[in-house]
Amino acid sequence: MRNRGWIGLALVAVGLAVVPLLVEVLDLSTFYLVFLSGILFWTAQSTSWNILSGYSGYFSFGQGAFYGVGVYSMAVLFGRHGLDWLVALAIGGLLAMLLGLGIGFVAFRLRSLRGEIFALLTLAVPFILAALVRLSDTIDGGQGIVVPVPEFPEALGSFQSFFYVCSAVVGVFALTVAFVMERTRYGWALFAVRDDEAVAEGLGVPTFRHKMIAIAANGLIGGVSGAVFGLNLGFISVEGTFNLTVPLFVIVMSVLGGRNHWAGPMLGAVYIHTLQNRLADSGFEGWSLIVLGGILILLVVLAPEGLMARMRRRPWLVSGALVATLLGLGLWGGWGQPVDWLAVGLAAAVVVAFLPSKRRSGVTARARPSAAERLYEDETPGERGRPLVVAEGVTKDFGGVHALRGVSLTVSEGELIGLVGPNGSGKTTLVNLIAGASRLTAGTIAVDGTNLAGIPQHRVAHLGIARTYQIPRPFSTMTLRDNVAVAIMFGRDPHGLSEARAAAEEFLSLVGLDHLAAEYPGKVNLHERQLLEMARAMATRPSVLLLDEALAGLNPVEVDNAVRVVRRIHDSGVAIVFVEHVLRVVNQLATRIVVLDHGVLLAEGDPAAVMSDPAVVSAYLGKEGHARSH
Amino acid sequence: MSELQAAIFGALSGSLFAVMALGLSLLWGFLKIINLAHFGMVLIGAYLTFEVATSTGLDPLLTVVIGAAAMFVLGAVVQAGFERWQVSEFNSLLISYGLLIITVQVVSNVWTADFQRMGTDVNPYGANSIRIGALSLPLPTLLAAGFAVVLVVAGKLVLERTYAGRALQAFGQDREIASAFGIDHRKLSILLAGMAGATAAIAGMLHALGESLHPDAPFEWVGRVFAIVILGGIGNLTGTLYAGLLVGAISGLTAAIWSPSASPFVVFSMVVLALVFRPTGLFPSKAVH
Repeated sequence: MRNRGWIGLALVAVGLAVVPLLVEVLDLSTFYLVFLSGILFWTAQSTSWNILSGYSGYFSFGQGAFYGVGVYSMAVLFGRHGLDWLVALAIGGLLAMLLGLGIGFVAFRLRSLRGEIFALLTLAVPFILAALVRLSDTIDGGQGIVVPVPEFPEALGSFQSFFYVCSAVVGVFALTVAFVMERTRYGWALFAVRDDEAVAEGLGVPTFRHKMIAIAANGLIGGVSGAVFGLNLGFISVEGTFNLTVPLFVIVMSVLGGRNHWAGPMLGAVYIHTLQNRLADSGFEGWSLIVLGGILILLVVLAPEGLMARMRRRPWLVSGALVATLLGLGLWGGWGQPVDWLAVGLAAAVVVAFLPSKRRSGVTARARPSAAERLYEDETPGERGRPLVVAEGVTKDFGGVHALRGVSLTVSEGELIGLVGPNGSGKTTLVNLIAGASRLTAGTIAVDGTNLAGIPQHRVAHLGIARTYQIPRPFSTMTLRDNVAVAIMFGRDPHGLSEARAAAEEFLSLVGLDHLAAEYPGKVNLHERQLLEMARAMATRPSVLLLDEALAGLNPVEVDNAVRVVRRIHDSGVAIVFVEHVLRVVNQLATRIVVLDHGVLLAEGDPAAVMSDPAVVSAYLGKEGHARSH
Repeated sequence: MSELQAAIFGALSGSLFAVMALGLSLLWGFLKIINLAHFGMVLIGAYLTFEVATSTGLDPLLTVVIGAAAMFVLGAVVQAGFERWQVSEFNSLLISYGLLIITVQVVSNVWTADFQRMGTDVNPYGANSIRIGALSLPLPTLLAAGFAVVLVVAGKLVLERTYAGRALQAFGQDREIASAFGIDHRKLSILLAGMAGATAAIAGMLHALGESLHPDAPFEWVGRVFAIVILGGIGNLTGTLYAGLLVGAISGLTAAIWSPSASPFVVFSMVVLALVFRPTGLFPSKAVH
């Protein structure tokens, strides 16, 4: 698995290095070098876009801004002021990266930011830049800039082969960055953000930092690639640079190729560039936007996962169809040029990829990890040891509604606190506050001696707080194993991807889900998803686990099973706050019960004592309930 | 004085963008659809006015009947497609982006990529202006402001007084609960999208009265119109009108004091600030949360 990817990347790099020789040996026209350089340019642009927008799910319509900064850096610094083109290239990349960081710094700090708003903000950025470039005489001033042919090593021969080499280097660089991210924490942080950003942050993923890294990589590669492309343009104008071609093409290419695989955008670039070329060659230039728009719509509706995912299901058949068509047409030689054969071959590959399959593709079993590590050191849960969470005078208002008023609560080592109360009494609000998911109106909460005020949520996870959600929120595009692995990768004891995947089994077997490790959350039932929530929370190695109605909607057998799991977790030395309606279970499990009513702490103490407190009974069951229960 | 003139003239031009923004804001607020194809419909509406007025000599104001009917159908068909394939809020943005570029290319193929403008013989409004004291206000922008006010008032009445309007408000707040009360989402949303399409045609007609047409124009509108939608509060009709006037006035002032190229810069800075400090829009209304 791991090796296959590296081989793929190496093959791309070697293939690109061999092409110029092939062109010379086969005596093909330089058209093919130009054609390939185009594919490489689009590979770099769409791969860089995909690192932010595909991996993290924050769609950007602003790729043109990064491209434009690169192009104009080359035009102004090299074209106008005669700086070395390599220096201009580096400055272009850095400026585009800074622009990305600037956009991210503003956008990713917006509390109200949603994907749509980000997309629209980025749509505006190229227009603002275009306005500034047109306005400023030191940049363009509306006149356009001539870029001369740079000096390059004579060994490369023509400008076309020089340009090809530059494009290939940038293209392979982009692919390598995407490839490495996909196999490290950097990529997985973004996948977690894409699936559920709030959950990711709660598990300890520093989401802001990773989004900034992604947008910086997006800017850097987009800018460098734009600067290289600027060398090829000869004349640069505002209208030709800041238009919608680049943002549109990178989106169509990545959606077409597939956004979940490093090679997806490259595949899309090959298809779209070939299609564009053939359309233009056959005099259908006026149709290209219509065809592209149509492809985008069809894909979003019918095959949002993209070509790459389809082709990977039957890789040999697909590449066989491509090679056979290419060779067949080539040997026959009675029709067209190699680029026509390529177009037909690509079409054949798509047909094969989309043929309906009889056999449903099952989940492939992966090798079991040999290295299993001890979950926790054996320690006997002490009766009320060291205080872990200390909440004092906690108050939370939502507008005019007082959700919590002056609640004080201490959670100590070894405790299993049952947090009960009628609907709307503030239980979930308290859980959210302790987990750092929302801010206090008044009061303080300290975890392990650290005040939570002003601390980002992922740091709260690192202090030892983990929580589950009443309605499970798994990362839906990841297997159960990877759901847990993400929590390990960013938990208190962080690991790399392969170690985390191996260790994930341990946590899945803790909750009895190890047999489903390779399944996706959509395929398992509610009970199993709730167990997954617990496994994932435990994988961050918390000292306090907050369970928010982990038994809601379960049947009696499942409840018993879940209770066993909660016991097991408690026995491993983790303090638990257990929000629950089912009093039978709370009585059975809890070492202490805390009752909330209308945002006020009504009673706390030993289960038996609390449950017979008349104030509690009347608040919880109502006055009639009180009468009937006796 | 010239600054005042610039601000008032800007605000009136802003009302044209407010008309463009109305349908977009309604669909986004009530149906959770971000319809970039709306700009394509404005474009088609503008070219239809140009074509019909030029070839038949019909008063350009009356051509809107044809455009509105056509765009009602187009808007409804697109929405029916969104309903059929259960398109999410985000995918609606991608799909309608595809529809928009198809529209732009088709318009360019039919009417060429050159600038076109109705001649003064068929367009009695284009070159006229009305003087109020020292101010000279062009008729097309005055008409745009008039239509904007009429549309907002009519829209408010429909939303607040009719069953369909209230049902839509219920939908904007909580789809599932509204469905549970037996509201037929499909019919209502198709009806609403049709009406949004009709407002696009009106915006197109108003645009054609005062400006030259070219197929890439939607890409010049997108930024400013979304600024108005966000500043006005998504789904908030009166807010949209106020935001249109505000954005227009500020663009006009920036252009007069600094440079016309600087106005997008100022407008988008406003959007970012608004998103930071007032994410529900500058003009909150009671009906919209």
